[in-house]
Amino acid sequence: MMAANIRRLSAYLVVGFAIVSLGLGYWAVIDAPTLAARADNPEVINARRSAPRGIIFDASGGVLASTTLTDGVAVRSYADPAFSHVIGYASLRYGTTGLEEAYDDILSGLSDPNPVSDMIDDLLDRPMEPSDLQLTIDRRLQDFAAQQLGASVGAIVALDPRTGAILASVSTPTYDASPLTGDSESSEGALDAISAQPNNPLVDRTRQGRYTPGSIMKVFTAAAALDSGVITPDTTYEEQPREETEGLVVDGFTITEHDLGVAPALWNLSPAMQVSSNIYFAHVGLDLGPERFLEYGERFGFCRGFTIGEGERALAVAPSYVTVSSPDGGCSPFNGDVDLASAAFGQAEVVVTPMQMARVAATIANGGVMPEPYVVGSVRSHSEDGAPGDIVLDRATPSAGRRVVGQSTAAQVRGVMVDAVEGELGRLYAGNGAVTLYGAIGSTAGKTGTAQRAEGEPHSWFIGFAPAQAGATPAIAVAVLLEGGGAGSVAAAPIGGAVMAQWLTLQAAR
Amino acid sequence: MTGDLLRLALLGAQLGFLAIIYFVLFGFARALLRDLRGAERAQLVSQAGIGRLMVLESPEDEPPSGRPISLGPINSLGRNVNNTIFIEDDFASANHAMLTFRGRSWFIEDQGSTNGTYVNAHRIDRPVALSYGDELTIGRVRMRLER
Amino acid sequence: MHLTLAPRWRELRFLLPLFGLVPLGFAITHVAASGLFEPGALEVAVAYAALFLAAHAILVVSGHRGDQLLLPTVGILGAFGMVMLNRLPQDIAGMSAFGIELGMAQTQLLWFAIGLAAMLVVAVGLRDDGFLRHYKYTWAVAGALLLLFTFLFGREIYGARLWIYVGPIGIQPGEFIKIVLVVFIAGYLAETRSLLAGASLRIGPISLPPLPYLAPMLALFVAVMLIVVISRDLGTALLFFGIFLTMLFVATGRRIYVVFGMLLFVAGSWVAYELFSHVQRRVNAWIDPFADPTDTGYQTVQALYGLARGGLFGEGLGQGLLTTNGRPTIFAVETDFIFTAIAEELGVLGAMALLALALLLVFRGLRIAIGARDEFSALLAIGLTTSLGLQTLIIVGGNVKLIPLTGVTFPFVSYGGSSLLASFIVIGLLLSISHRSALNR
Repeated sequence: MMAANIRRLSAYLVVGFAIVSLGLGYWAVIDAPTLAARADNPEVINARRSAPRGIIFDASGGVLASTTLTDGVAVRSYADPAFSHVIGYASLRYGTTGLEEAYDDILSGLSDPNPVSDMIDDLLDRPMEPSDLQLTIDRRLQDFAAQQLGASVGAIVALDPRTGAILASVSTPTYDASPLTGDSESSEGALDAISAQPNNPLVDRTRQGRYTPGSIMKVFTAAAALDSGVITPDTTYEEQPREETEGLVVDGFTITEHDLGVAPALWNLSPAMQVSSNIYFAHVGLDLGPERFLEYGERFGFCRGFTIGEGERALAVAPSYVTVSSPDGGCSPFNGDVDLASAAFGQAEVVVTPMQMARVAATIANGGVMPEPYVVGSVRSHSEDGAPGDIVLDRATPSAGRRVVGQSTAAQVRGVMVDAVEGELGRLYAGNGAVTLYGAIGSTAGKTGTAQRAEGEPHSWFIGFAPAQAGATPAIAVAVLLEGGGAGSVAAAPIGGAVMAQWLTLQAAR
Repeated sequence: MTGDLLRLALLGAQLGFLAIIYFVLFGFARALLRDLRGAERAQLVSQAGIGRLMVLESPEDEPPSGRPISLGPINSLGRNVNNTIFIEDDFASANHAMLTFRGRSWFIEDQGSTNGTYVNAHRIDRPVALSYGDELTIGRVRMRLER
Repeated sequence: MHLTLAPRWRELRFLLPLFGLVPLGFAITHVAASGLFEPGALEVAVAYAALFLAAHAILVVSGHRGDQLLLPTVGILGAFGMVMLNRLPQDIAGMSAFGIELGMAQTQLLWFAIGLAAMLVVAVGLRDDGFLRHYKYTWAVAGALLLLFTFLFGREIYGARLWIYVGPIGIQPGEFIKIVLVVFIAGYLAETRSLLAGASLRIGPISLPPLPYLAPMLALFVAVMLIVVISRDLGTALLFFGIFLTMLFVATGRRIYVVFGMLLFVAGSWVAYELFSHVQRRVNAWIDPFADPTDTGYQTVQALYGLARGGLFGEGLGQGLLTTNGRPTIFAVETDFIFTAIAEELGVLGAMALLALALLLVFRGLRIAIGARDEFSALLAIGLTTSLGLQTLIIVGGNVKLIPLTGVTFPFVSYGGSSLLASFIVIGLLLSISHRSALNR
C-alpha cells in the first residue's frame, strides 16, 4: 500500500517540477521581450547611458538626430524641432517616444533588421551595433510647412500618393527635444517645462488630433455616392435651389445652408462641390443611406486606428469616426437621418485626424487605391562621418495599397476637385486662386473645409493634391488643418497650395 | 574577426558542456527506467505468487497429499513443528532442508539431514537451483515445485 | 563488516564525465572573462571531480552495495554550482581561518570534501539503523533544543537568527534539524502507521483522524515550527511542513491529512502575514515587485531580468550576469538565486537539465524507499528525498516568482557549508538504506 502512495507522491512531485519549469519558461521566453524592454532593466539603463545610438537622416541626407558621447554618457541631440513629433525623443529620464521608440531595437542595436544576421549576433553575443534610419521626409519641405503654419496651432500632412511615403508631417506648436536627453539629472524638469506651455506642444496633431472635418468630407461623400451608383456627376435635386434658402427639413429638423455668396441654382455635382453646397450633399448622403455610408467609411479607413509603418515598428494614428464611436472601437450605426445628412457634409459626429484626411486625398489622387503611409525609407549601417551609410540593411517596400473606389469614380472626383479649386465658382472658395501658386506647372485638385464648432472660430481645413491636370500623375497629396483658423479658403487653402507648389518646385529642380 | 572566432569557440564549447550534461542525464534516465521496469517485473512475480509445492505422496498425510502448499520466499522443511512446512515422516530429520527464492529462482539446501534430500531422485550435497516442475523428496514425502 | 570488493561500474561510468564537464565549464568562463584562448586555472575543477572519484573508490573498497546513481547525480548537480561559483567574483563569500584565505569556489570545494566524507561515514558506518529509531525522542528533543539555542544565542544575519559560530565557521542548525525531524517522524509513523491509517474518531457522519495517536508527534512538530517561524525562517518552515505532510500521506494514504494540513498552513500564513511586517514586505514584493522595482522589489525584479536575458539558450557561460561596481545586480546570486544565474547563462536549455537532474535524484530516492526492507527505512527514505525535492521546488519556485522568495538553498548547487553537509548526510543515509535492502535481497 505504501508503494502505491509513493508512486502517487512521485506523480505530485513531477507536477511540481513541471509547474516551476513552466514558470521558468514564462519569464525566460514568453515575458522576456517585455522584461528586456523595461526602462528600469539595468541592461537597458547601461546600454542607454553609454551606448551609441543610430543617426536619423532626412530624405536628402541631413542629420536630424545624433548621439555624442561625453564623459561616458550618451547625449542625443535633435537638429530640427519641426521633426519632434515624428522622431519623438530617447531620454534616460522620460523614456522613448515616436520613431525613437518604434525603432528602438534597431537604433540601439538590440536587433538587426536582417533576421539571419540578427540570429548570428545573438548566438555569438556580438556587441550591439546601432543602425541608422533615413526618413522619407525631406527637411526642406518639412521646414517650409512649419514656416507656413508659423505661430498658428495646426497640422500639415503631405503624402506621396503613389507610395504612401510621408513627405511632411508637421504639428504646431512643437518643442525642442534636445533638453530631454542626456543625463537623467540634467534633464530633470525639462518635460514639465514643455507640457506647461499653452496648446500642449507634446501632442502630435497629425496623428492624435481629432477634428470635425466640415466640407472636406464632401470628397468622401461624393466618392462613395459615385462609386455605389447612387449619383452621377449630372445628378440634380429639384427641390435643392428652394431648400438653399428655406432649408431642408429632415425628421422635423431643418438643415440650413451656409453663406454661399452666390445665388442658388439647380446644381449638379461639380458646381455643388465648387460652392460647397451643404443641401446638395445632404441629399447625396440621404440617398446613399446609412449602411452604405458606413460601409464606404470603413473602406476609406474611418472607424479604426491605423499605423504608419508595419508591425511593432510603427507610429499609431488615432481612429477617425463618421458616427459616434462604439464601445468595441468601431463606428456605431447612425442615430437617424439628421446625423446622416450632416455627416455627408462633415458635421454632426464626424471627427478626423489630418493623417486620415491626407490618406483620403491621396486615395483620389492615386486612382482610387489607398496607399499605406510610411515614414522610414531605409535602415542603414551606422554612419561614422555624418553622411548616410552606403549599406542599406532594410529598405521600405511600399505596399500595393488597397482599392477603395473604382478608377472611374476616382477620376470623376478628381475632376470635381480640380473644379473646386479652379472652376468659376470654385476659385471663390479656394483662396481665390491662392492654391494654384505654381500655375505654370499644372493644376491642383482640392477642397476646403470650414468646420463649425460649438464655440470659437471654426477649424480651417484643406485637402488636395497636385499636379491634377488630365494625364498628370499627382506627386503630392496634402491635408492642412488650422485649429480655430476660420474659413478654409482664407487660412488652410493657401498654405496647402504653397506646400504643394514648394514640393513640385523642389522636385523639378532636382 | 578574432572576436568572432573567440565567440564561435565559446559557443562550441558551451554546446559541448550542455551535450555532456544531457548525455549523462539521458544515461541516468535510462538506468532509472530500466530499474523501474525490473522492479515492476519483480513485483508482478511476487503478486502472482512465487510458487507452491504440490504434495504427490505423503504416507502420514501431513502434509496432506494431493494438496498444494503455498510458499513464501524462505521455507524450512522438517519434522520439527516449528518449520514452515511441517513434515510428519519418520525418515525426515527435525530440520531437514531449506527452500528459498533468491532473485528469480528457487534453491533447495539440505540442512545436514540423516536421510538426505532428493531432487528428481538425485541426492543433493550442496544448494541446488530448482526449476518449476522439479520433484523434491524428503523422507517418504514427494512434492513437486509448481508455479 | 563486509570488506569484500564490490565493483560499482555504473557509478564509475557516470562519474567519469565530471572530469570533462567541470574543467570545460571552468575553461569557458575563463576564456569569456579574459578574452584569451587559454583554459585558466583548473585545479579546483579537477580536484572537485577527483573528490567524487575518491568517494567512489572508498565505496568500492568497503564493499558498499548501495545505490549507484545517487553519487553521480549529486556530482553533476554540484558541477553546475561549482562552475557558477567559480565564475562569480571570489570575494562575495569565502572563509578565512588559521591564516588561510579561501575564495568562494575553494571554500565550496572544501565543504564538498567535508560533505563527501560525512556521507561516507554515514553510508559505510551506519550498518544498523537501530540507534536512529530507538532514540527518536532523544534526537528530536535535542534537535529542538539546538534550534531554540540558535534562536536565543545565534548570530543575526539579514534579520534572522539562524547561525551559530564555532570559531570562524558558521553553521545553520536548521539544515541538520531537518534530518533529525525526518528521523523522528519516520520512527514515530513506522510504529503507529496502522493505527493512523485505519482507526478514526467518528463524530456522526464525520470521521476524524485519531488525534490521540498523533498528539506526541504533533506536539513536537508544532514546537519546532514555532521556533522556525519566530526565527523568521519562512522557507524552512514551509519545507518542514511539506516534509511532515508528505510523510504522513505516504504512511497513511489519507489525503484528508494533507488537505487539512494545507488549510492549516494557509491559515498560518495569513496569521503570519497579519502579524509580521517582514512577511508583508516579502509577500508584497512577490505579488508585484514592479511596484517598487528599486527597493523592496529590487531583488525579484533583477532576478526576473536575469531569466529574461537568458532566454532559451542563455547568454553563455561567463557571459551573462550584469554587474554594477563589480557586483552582480542579482543579489544573493551565489545562494538564493543560483538557479537564476544558471538559467541566465545556460538558458532554459541548461536550467531544465538542472531541474531534470534534481527530479531524477528524487526518483532515485523514492525508488530506494520502495525497495527498503522495512517501514522505518522506507519512511526515512521518503522524508529525506522529499526534503531535497521540496527544497529545490521552494527555491526554484521563489526564483521564478511562483511563490514568495525564501532563503532556502538549492541542494548541492547553492553556496553554503551547512546546506552541503546536511545534503550529503541525506545522501549517506539513502546509500545506507539501499545498501541494507540490497544485502537483504
